[in-house]
Amino acid sequence: MSFIQILVANLPPLLEGMGMTLLLTLAATLLSWVVGLATLATQLSDSPFIRIPGRLYISLMRGTPALIQLFVIFFTLPLIGLGGLPMLAAILALGLNSAAYVAEILRANTRVVGIGQIEAARAIGLSPFRTWTRIRLPQLLRASLPALINEFTILLKTTPLASVVAVTELTYAGQLVIARTFESTTILLATAAGYLLIALPILLLAQRLGLSAFKQAGGRA
Amino acid sequence: MIDLDLIVSVLPVLAAGLFKTVWLSLLGAILALGGGILIATGIERGPHWLRRTLSAWTLVTLSLPLLVLLYLLFFVLPEYGLTLSPTTVGVAGLGLYYAPYVSQLLLGALSAITPGQFEACRAMGMAPWRYMPRLIVPQMLPLLLPSMTGLMIGLIKDSALLSIIAVHEFMHAAKAAISQTYAPLEIYLIVALAYWLLTSLIDSLMRRLERRMTRHST
Repeated sequence: MSFIQILVANLPPLLEGMGMTLLLTLAATLLSWVVGLATLATQLSDSPFIRIPGRLYISLMRGTPALIQLFVIFFTLPLIGLGGLPMLAAILALGLNSAAYVAEILRANTRVVGIGQIEAARAIGLSPFRTWTRIRLPQLLRASLPALINEFTILLKTTPLASVVAVTELTYAGQLVIARTFESTTILLATAAGYLLIALPILLLAQRLGLSAFKQAGGRA
Repeated sequence: MIDLDLIVSVLPVLAAGLFKTVWLSLLGAILALGGGILIATGIERGPHWLRRTLSAWTLVTLSLPLLVLLYLLFFVLPEYGLTLSPTTVGVAGLGLYYAPYVSQLLLGALSAITPGQFEACRAMGMAPWRYMPRLIVPQMLPLLLPSMTGLMIGLIKDSALLSIIAVHEFMHAAKAAISQTYAPLEIYLIVALAYWLLTSLIDSLMRRLERRMTRHST
């Protein structure tokens, strides 16, 4: 069979896997923003009892492979009665991992909102909460957008790890097709193309909009 | 409660795995550095087609998961008659994957050097292989050190993926230890702690080096 024929014959499971990859990426991204913001809050606290645990969390998450974090979460969940949920383990692992990076990205940009603005907000009687939601956060997020887009694509590149706990995302879906058809070249190229199909438009759009954060940080195991 | 003796009995296996991880990461990093210098040179000085090819590869590594690249190297190359050992595939994969990132850092640091310095060197008749190591690279190093450290730590963590294609490194040793002890959580926590100590150590050493380098600059 030709390349195209093999591809067409096995397209449905691959597309399903791609959907799963997207779902995993989006769910983990959402989690990473929520936990990332909470972690940022710990870092801005005056109390060392809040700041140091937050720092430790960031350091641990950035200092160990995501693959191990996934395994640790995967083997911990059954202990709290949530066994047999690989997708949950994957979302938690990828999301909690990415959260540490999101917190660092945001922290690096907190200075974009000058002290003058915060004082002005207080002077006109805005509560600290409103100062955050109306003044600081919008500017902070805008300044962090390139790095956050970059982090999103890195998270996408981390999702194949979920295949080791048998989540049928794109990479694992491809492996299952290969196990059945032995067409490793075609299917692996299709798998690779699937990731490019998701990531390239985002990267190119970011470049076009001047939001490219082509800096450091590779993938993450 | 976990049997402590059992954990102690697998420590030699884990230590050997950790040593292998450090070794493989070092090889991968050297490959990535060499590749990065070549890619940066190609993008700066190369002909149009080379520039386009290297930029395309850079974009591909930005969007392709490392695991998929490893699978491609591991399963597709043998079909074209090139069978490599898992270790070779792993190190080559790390090098290929990280080289474009290194090149981007190098190009970034290079653009921070004022063009007048290059012109002055050329005006004095110096060849690139003389003025680069003596004048340009020493200025680039302090700029590169923090981001290169981040990349190196990323590479060490990514080397854990090599266990999936059966390279005998730290994660692989962890799996062997688990099949002996049936204590996955304990072993993975020990392994995570070791990775954390390793990356923290590199981080703090590089910070110290950076402080030494920038000691005399304002």
